[in-house]
Amino acid sequence: MTMQSIEAIKNILADVLSLGDRKTSLNSNSALLGSLPELDSMAVINIITALEEQFGIVVDDDEISAKTFETLGTLALFIDRKLAE
Amino acid sequence: MRGCLDHPAAQPFFLDAAHGKRFCIYHAPALELDCCGAFIYVHPFGDEMNKTRRIAALQARAFAAMGFGVLQIDLFGCGDSSGEFADARLAIWREDLAIAKKWLEQHVAAPVSLWGARLGGLLALDFASRVESTIEKIILWQPVVSGELFLTQFLRLRLAGDMLAEGMEKHTGTRTMRNALAAGEILEVAGYELAPALAAAVDTLDASKIVPTKSAVHWFEIVPEIGRAMQPARAEVVRAWKQEGVDLQVHMVPGESFWSTQTVSECPDMLSATAQIFASGQT
Repeated sequence: MTMQSIEAIKNILADVLSLGDRKTSLNSNSALLGSLPELDSMAVINIITALEEQFGIVVDDDEISAKTFETLGTLALFIDRKLAE
Repeated sequence: MRGCLDHPAAQPFFLDAAHGKRFCIYHAPALELDCCGAFIYVHPFGDEMNKTRRIAALQARAFAAMGFGVLQIDLFGCGDSSGEFADARLAIWREDLAIAKKWLEQHVAAPVSLWGARLGGLLALDFASRVESTIEKIILWQPVVSGELFLTQFLRLRLAGDMLAEGMEKHTGTRTMRNALAAGEILEVAGYELAPALAAAVDTLDASKIVPTKSAVHWFEIVPEIGRAMQPARAEVVRAWKQEGVDLQVHMVPGESFWSTQTVSECPDMLSATAQIFASGQT
């Protein structure tokens, strides 16, 4: 996964979830779903919308899965794959 | 921003309407000023309404301090008004806005304008296109431009909810949900019971087809940072309106997505940008 996508996703997570200083401690192994209390259904949708806008991608319904949101790294891999399509 | 000490406190009341009462808050214009106009605030849809409550209240107070009256009305089935969300219909919301306009006209000797946030912006455009009398100004705060796209995003909330609740890899897609609505089923999405008739009506709302030619329009658009352009689909609506000769000013405001942020956002730049336009008398 690329560093750019990791950094961009960190920024989006921090903005959407209002993480503040906790942003700096995020890395590709950081668990997302089930670990970040702010990550509720509305936040998931807002993150997907923000990712679509930031990267110019379109996420289909059937691509939205818990696995994608497991860690920051799995989310970055998903974005990389979408960008390579 | 001037506080609320220099004008009468906001006045909450219930307004009689079809199927019960509507909760309203009236912010009277500051006493020492000539009334410059009046706004009906049209709130967003679903949870965006709650997220926007604080920033809307702050803006309403700022307007009042500048000499504008502001009537905030909770539409049928929303907020503290009568009715369940499942019973809300676009036609009832249109009637609610008509009642709000009538009330405001009886209380303020100034032209009535509309101020809508998110889906409320689209509702304001829809209402303005239907009333015979002219709506002087329309303020749009990050308006939803396509009811259809908005509905899809709203339905996605249930998809994400399913995913969080059960970690399911298989969940109901928005197409399946739309089919269920089409078959007359009420869907529960993010705690809101969405009726097929309301969904169908929201689906038909399209800003590119509701051209506000009779009002001066101020469109306030939040961008993540200064210099960012409007998203293409939204810019297309602006282009189409300008081609139709709409008296439109677009104001790009850097700030947070106050209608969806996790914590309640005051988005001070949005407040100051909106206040500045109306304080400087350039309308």
